[in-house]
Amino acid sequence: MQAGEAPFDFEATFRAQYGRIARIIARVVRDPARAEELAVEVFLKLWRNRKAQGEKTEGWLYRAAVRKGLDELRRQNRRARYEHLFRFVRQVPTPEDIRSAADEQERVRLVLALIEPRQAELLLLRSHGLNYDELASALDLNPASIGTLLSRAQQAFRKEYIKRNGER
Amino acid sequence: MENDNDMNENFPVDDHLAKLNPDGEWQPNVTQALARFKERRDGSRKRIWATVGVLAVSACLACAILLVKKADMQRVSATVKTVKDGQTAPDFILKDATGANIWLSAYKGKVVVVDFWATWCHGCKTEIPWFMEFQNKYKDSGLAVIGVSMDEDGWKSVRPFVEEKKMNYPVVIGNDDLAKRYGVDSMPMTLLIDRKGKLAASYIGLVDKGIFEKELVRLLR
Repeated sequence: MQAGEAPFDFEATFRAQYGRIARIIARVVRDPARAEELAVEVFLKLWRNRKAQGEKTEGWLYRAAVRKGLDELRRQNRRARYEHLFRFVRQVPTPEDIRSAADEQERVRLVLALIEPRQAELLLLRSHGLNYDELASALDLNPASIGTLLSRAQQAFRKEYIKRNGER
Repeated sequence: MENDNDMNENFPVDDHLAKLNPDGEWQPNVTQALARFKERRDGSRKRIWATVGVLAVSACLACAILLVKKADMQRVSATVKTVKDGQTAPDFILKDATGANIWLSAYKGKVVVVDFWATWCHGCKTEIPWFMEFQNKYKDSGLAVIGVSMDEDGWKSVRPFVEEKKMNYPVVIGNDDLAKRYGVDSMPMTLLIDRKGKLAASYIGLVDKGIFEKELVRLLR
């Protein structure tokens, strides 16, 4: 915070932004309750990081939220892979497997977990409604390069999706 | 770029991503979240002071704590570190709302559903009436349901909830050690334990009621 700047009102920021942050995470992780928990963790991280508290807090929160969600998604996928290996012995599909296989959301999540993290972040924030300037600010990118990066990210998503699921 | 546009029309990435929108009925609870945030923030402050305090105690006391810890860790490592299907479910002894001890190993011979839940978890609240129904329906066939609440404020939140829902199976309060041993890192998490005390299946997230019941009946046979 610069000298002369108004003190940062953490609680007001929490109240104003928590819902949006929880929703960003909930789009990535399966369980809304878990998303709410992770959103609290994002705010704990903000509370520890004084430098992020200021006029750029909103962008910082979006970036931290989308990263938190993607980290959780990759962790869930790693876990699912281990459980899959273990099922060679067990061979009893869990309801989770059955639902996941049929679920378009899970297909999209899997692709997001597999493409470059930076590209996944860009796609998620864009689809959450951020414009080019907001994206540039949240992800520390040059606004002039957003269009190209977004296009590359879409191509990467499309390629990975088709590789795994065929054209739908 | 023209080519990209054509491809995007044929394969609209945004449409796929739009399918990720969470359930329309779900509303993040800001007040509850803020309370949880404050609790965790204050908890971490307390932890820092506790660490300073522990560093300041005498060497003799530190030795005593280390010995107690070592014994505790040996007891934990004698059980399973992170439970996997087919392994023996780690035993636990926890008190229920009446103060009575609930021993998991005492349920050997029964099929046990262990439900890790919390009062703030939406999925958990959906499942609880199903587990109450199963408890009623299959109690005489050898089913026992145990609810392990992971609410940080323990009975303060859990007791009114249990009374309000008239939960018909024992509920205990879990702890970090138990969560680590069972690998609980999200809720709801439900375990099915067979009559031999071995883990038959674990479910992360909301169970599919019909499939879960079929699996339950298969184990009861």
